[in-house]
Amino acid sequence: MTILKVEGLYKHFNHIKAVDGINFEVAEGEVFGLLGPNGAGKSTTISMISTLFPPDKGQILFKGSSIGKDAKSLQKKLGVVPQDVALYPTLTGYENLGFWGNMYGLRGKLLKQRIEEVASVIGIQERLKDRVDKYSGGMKRRLNIGAALLHKPELLIMDEPTVGIDPQSRNHILDTVLQLNRQGMTIIYTSHYMEEVEYLCSRICIMDQGKIIASGTKDELVEIIKGQQQVSLKLDKINDSLVERIKRLPGVGKAEVVEGEITVAGESVDGILADIIAEVGKSGSHIAGIDVRKPNLESVFLHLTGKALRD
Amino acid sequence: MKIADMIRKDLKIILSDKKALVTILLMPVILTAILSSALRGAFSDGEGIGKIQIAVVKEYHIEEESEKFLETLKGSLLTQNMGKDALDRLAEGAEKFDIEKIFFKEFLDSEALQKFVEYRITDEENALQQLRDKAVSAVVVLPRDFVYNMKINVVTPFRNQVSIKVIGHPEREIGRQIVQSIMEAFTDNMAAIMIGKNVILETALSNSLGTDAFEDMEAIVDRINNELRDIEVEITALKAEGRRQVSSFAYYAAAMMTMFILFAAGHGGRLLLDEKDNITYNRMVIAGVPKTGILTGKFFTIFVLALVQISVMVSFSSLMLKVYWGSFPAVALISISAAFAVAGIGAMISAATFKSGNDKMANIFETAVIQTMALLGGSFFPIEILPSFMQKLSIFSLNGIALKAYLKIMRGYGVVDILGYLASLVIVGIVFSTLAAFIFNRKGRGERCSA
Repeated sequence: MTILKVEGLYKHFNHIKAVDGINFEVAEGEVFGLLGPNGAGKSTTISMISTLFPPDKGQILFKGSSIGKDAKSLQKKLGVVPQDVALYPTLTGYENLGFWGNMYGLRGKLLKQRIEEVASVIGIQERLKDRVDKYSGGMKRRLNIGAALLHKPELLIMDEPTVGIDPQSRNHILDTVLQLNRQGMTIIYTSHYMEEVEYLCSRICIMDQGKIIASGTKDELVEIIKGQQQVSLKLDKINDSLVERIKRLPGVGKAEVVEGEITVAGESVDGILADIIAEVGKSGSHIAGIDVRKPNLESVFLHLTGKALRD
Repeated sequence: MKIADMIRKDLKIILSDKKALVTILLMPVILTAILSSALRGAFSDGEGIGKIQIAVVKEYHIEEESEKFLETLKGSLLTQNMGKDALDRLAEGAEKFDIEKIFFKEFLDSEALQKFVEYRITDEENALQQLRDKAVSAVVVLPRDFVYNMKINVVTPFRNQVSIKVIGHPEREIGRQIVQSIMEAFTDNMAAIMIGKNVILETALSNSLGTDAFEDMEAIVDRINNELRDIEVEITALKAEGRRQVSSFAYYAAAMMTMFILFAAGHGGRLLLDEKDNITYNRMVIAGVPKTGILTGKFFTIFVLALVQISVMVSFSSLMLKVYWGSFPAVALISISAAFAVAGIGAMISAATFKSGNDKMANIFETAVIQTMALLGGSFFPIEILPSFMQKLSIFSLNGIALKAYLKIMRGYGVVDILGYLASLVIVGIVFSTLAAFIFNRKGRGERCSA
């Protein structure tokens, strides 16, 4: 059953097309991923779904009802974890959760009970009485999630919830997302971290420059570049002529410089690896490392846009 | 209910900010204690030092009283055995003693006093009206028989009571005190002359140098002096309409309080911007809190904060400085009106800082506007010492309006007398709240997730 449907959504800011005619559906009980680089339009899309501002064109349907006509019905059932930590740093964790519970109409014993439950889910029971400005970045992120869970939302939107935190907190958050989903919560998860989306999401939309450039399950997306392999070469020096020469090699689909490495994609990179190495040798560069990868969402994005997700 | 939650949360945040606490609660307490103690001697009420206007009322009739003096002299025991020549000399001496000339020309018009005082002679009704209108700081009443009694005191060994009345306005206390001091200086000098004269006269009499005119004078003077023992020149200082005086402690408690509640507006003016910067504003909108509800929450946070400040200051000054604030309902009414006005200004600043995305507006308000209002409104010193054009500008200072209302109640006026001030404060609150709502709901160019 579709819980959320986005139809022909447009949003322009001055002359910038932040969201440019996107369509997608989110099924009840799934973890839906919005993947794309910074500036792809993910945050603008979820801001419109969150009722922060209306679209210029198009509509968003929550359980079949347009949220433009009845935002309140969605707001009660929606939890949003903003990209930035949206908390009061000088209040304690408990006071923050209490306030956000109040904003969703929770009071008294029920509020206290929900704070305890949520604190347990996000793993900050021991630090609830501490001021938030004394928390680590990871703990703040976890509390940021907790504030969106108090009213037991049916739909949880998480906008880049793991940006700038340590691996341990990141893993905890990812596990929390899966745990919430197992409890029946529908989740829209936006990220530019390909691995997170691959790990969590059953279906994925890839966005770039305000448009959805591909969507489907992970397998369906990888199918786009079926049979393509990717090899990354770490060199002591890279020049444009070398990249151009590699591109002209038979069997090479794409050759790009990504994060200081030459990334080459082709149907069978194994077969042409010797030719690539020979070209590097001719250019006078020395190889510091070679990494041959199976197709993944990164490869898909590279294939579709000609650039890396982190660009 | 959500608005109450927002107010509680905002107050928690503010009260957990030590810097804000010092500015909002501690500073007015400290400054009141320092300023009122430091200026205790030189200052007791809402008035400063300037050229003091006095109305002088002459209740005496100079010719009639001079005539009466001569008749008294002729029929008195003192001159019973005096020869005609001596009596004429005495009468001539009395004629030459012109107390009116001494008081006006030689005393009030002296170069030294002209620097401080300007006087006008008028009738009592007109003088009191001028006092009520604050056109003069005090009324000096030279009583009936002033000339007669002064002649008696100066020319004869007798001493008659002369009561110069100084009537002051409760809101011109310094002026009244200065006029009183001037009158005391005059009467002290006159008393010294009289005593000196009496000593000479008594010495002359005791040495039989008073010729035939002062035979048996000693016995006569003694008898009269015994009868008039308690009579001496004195000054009666009255307060117009029986109002209370306001001490320097009371003045500065009210002055500092009305100034520092403005900081609640400045501080509260940053609350919305903080919500925006913390993304908590967006989070509240997502939670279904209406924008007007958020702004209303800020309005009442500032309102409550100002009331907390007022409560602290009134309690502190009442308990520690023994300040009398006047009727509680009236003080409560002013406090609520002042807090309402402050909340309106704070909400407007809040909306403006939110829209502009920086706290320049709040900074300007705290650094420039509050200081200007404090100066014009009399928070540092009474506005009477300012040039008249600046005094007129004081009506634009919120603290000045509130201060005047508090001082009136302290002086014993009723709520009816401060209705104008209360109305002004409420109007300020309404106007600025409306402005805040207008600014806040106006869609800004290029506005993104903030609205």
